[in-house]
Amino acid sequence: MSDRAPGNSQAPLVLLEQITKIYRKDTQEVRALDGIDLRIESPGMVAVVGPSGSGKSSLLHVIGAMDRPTGGEIVVAGRRLAALGNAELTAFRRNTVGFVFQTFNLIPNLTALENVALPMEFNGVDKRERRRRALALLDRVGLAPRATHRPGELSGGEQQRVAITRALANDPPLVLADEPTGNLDSTTGQLIYELLEEIARGRTVIVVTHAEPLAQRAKRVIHIQDGRLVS
Amino acid sequence: MVLLGLRNLFRAKTRLAVAVLLLALPAFLLLVLQAILTAVETHTETLKRNVDNSLQLRARGSMGHVNMQGNETILPQSALDTAIRIPGVAAVEQYLLAMTPTEGHNFAMIVGVNPGETRRLESHGEAGNPRIVAGRDLTAADRGQRVAVIGQGVARWARITSDNLASATLTLDLKRTHPVIFALERPPATLRIVGVYASGYVFGDMQLFVPIDTFREIYGVPEGISWLFVRAVSADRLPEVEAALRRELGEAADIIAPIAAAEFERTTTRAVRRFSAIGSALAAALMVIVVFFVTLINVRERTREIGTLMALGASGAGVAASFLAEALALAALGATAGAAVFAVAGSLVPGQLFGVAVSPFLPAQYKDALRGALAPAAGLGPSGAGWFLLATAFAACAGSAWGLRQVVKLSPVEAIRHE
Ligand SMILES: Nc1ncnc2c1ncn2[C@@H]1O[C@H](COP(=O)(O)OP(=O)(O)OP(=O)(O)O)[C@@H](O)[C@H]1O
Ligand SMILES: [Mg+2]
Repeated sequence: MSDRAPGNSQAPLVLLEQITKIYRKDTQEVRALDGIDLRIESPGMVAVVGPSGSGKSSLLHVIGAMDRPTGGEIVVAGRRLAALGNAELTAFRRNTVGFVFQTFNLIPNLTALENVALPMEFNGVDKRERRRRALALLDRVGLAPRATHRPGELSGGEQQRVAITRALANDPPLVLADEPTGNLDSTTGQLIYELLEEIARGRTVIVVTHAEPLAQRAKRVIHIQDGRLVS
Repeated sequence: MVLLGLRNLFRAKTRLAVAVLLLALPAFLLLVLQAILTAVETHTETLKRNVDNSLQLRARGSMGHVNMQGNETILPQSALDTAIRIPGVAAVEQYLLAMTPTEGHNFAMIVGVNPGETRRLESHGEAGNPRIVAGRDLTAADRGQRVAVIGQGVARWARITSDNLASATLTLDLKRTHPVIFALERPPATLRIVGVYASGYVFGDMQLFVPIDTFREIYGVPEGISWLFVRAVSADRLPEVEAALRRELGEAADIIAPIAAAEFERTTTRAVRRFSAIGSALAAALMVIVVFFVTLINVRERTREIGTLMALGASGAGVAASFLAEALALAALGATAGAAVFAVAGSLVPGQLFGVAVSPFLPAQYKDALRGALAPAAGLGPSGAGWFLLATAFAACAGSAWGLRQVVKLSPVEAIRHE
């Protein structure tokens, strides 16, 4: 079996078929995802909304190869994730997706610049090129002057901008953001959202959000409830 | 990733400081034990070199000191030629001995020796290893000259230091008596002191070595031998040599086989080796435990961060490598701190520790000698240093293994969802 999906050139960036994710603990069973079919073809912003516990994060995690689904088939950027070994999954996470977290998750003892350069380091980009590119990216979000600051010296909004920049470091076709504005006030959240919109012009951005007004600005909104998509 | 690990080391400064201190202690202990082992093994080597193949001959029933009450009989000079002709004999060394009172009931020993031959120590003749600590040794040019090399005990008594050594002299008064020393009706002799040695024990440091011809002149002993050391070509031939010596010189001489290196090795060296192996293992275990807990705390504390790194495309092995680098650097810092303390206090502690921990296991006749020999020689052979590095690296790897396993087993989601 090949890890390439048939008809590669026509294939959508993200394709989910009958995805289930079941968490088991002792005899307890939680169906976080329950038969999800999803196709995301073109670049742009896709919002995922749904009540707490509906499976939004779980969905993002299986798409980003951070977790394996219990059943079903996922193809992202022409790669069948089920066919990839651990090393290939690592490379996939490095090159194909950029992850943005609700809690920013910057490495506290590294500067903004070093945080942004980190995924490139994992990719074996040489040091000078890493620096150059990280600075250019930080400049795009207006944070070049703060390049040598550590996360603790940045505001929440600034930290999230650094985190978004970091997600773009290896220029992935897909960016996944799990409630990126959840820890920010609405004004700052608005700014972050605009930044994601801008990014989404050239690539696919899937963003989980509770903020309905933000979701409405997305090209497409996916509703999820009890692990199922609802239209 | 390695660089990342090294930087992570300095994130929790207090923890780092405590961990380094906790590592420094066993590291120091490890070095001390290695130093003790090195000293004992050096001692064994000395014994093997100087003793194993040798026999000591003295005039029958006498200590052979030319001015000691009831012990003044010495071997006839002809014993030397007799011994040399015995098959299997490699070398013979002759010595003349006299005593001179110092303070109270104490005395020093004057030893006439052929310059270049082994400087033997009274009653520790088998175990002595005197090292020159100031000035120089006797040389062939000193034959017949009024010069001497003295032990540091004698130097202390005569107030001779390395500063005034250049002009130091010592006068032997042959008429002075002592409960066991009788007077010799001979003029006093002034000796120029050219060197000071340290033997490592008090009595061994109370000797003066003078060229044997000088001794003969001063004490008026044109011929005769106090001690004759006969060295066989090999330890195997020793019994044969001993039998021949008994046959030829048994009438006139007591033949003494000093406690052999093998005996020393069987008792002392083995005891010390065992002690230092156990102690080293305990110290290494302590290092392992410290690294273990520090790594575990770090992994727990940074679980989310590990997940983040993996989400960004780091491999589990890569993250584990950064933790390993951190553990290695931590162990190296601890070892360095321990080595620094060792460099400062290392000359004092081995002696103390030896006295408390090692000497109870040793035969009585070696305790003092060894303990003394340790103090100035807190050195560490290359093998000791090698063991130390190995133990440090081992502590880092073994200590961090469990934590690293946790890292590798972690999936990015688990780590990120971790609270
Ligand atoms: N490791 C786990 N073990 C057991 N159950 C889990 C685990 N992770 C998630 N779940 C459950 O799976 C369901 C979906 O969780 P998920 O985090 O995807 O929801 P969500 O939509 O992101 O919620 P929220 O909006 O609160 O972040 C929830 O019921 C949750 O309790
Ligand atoms: Mg969630």
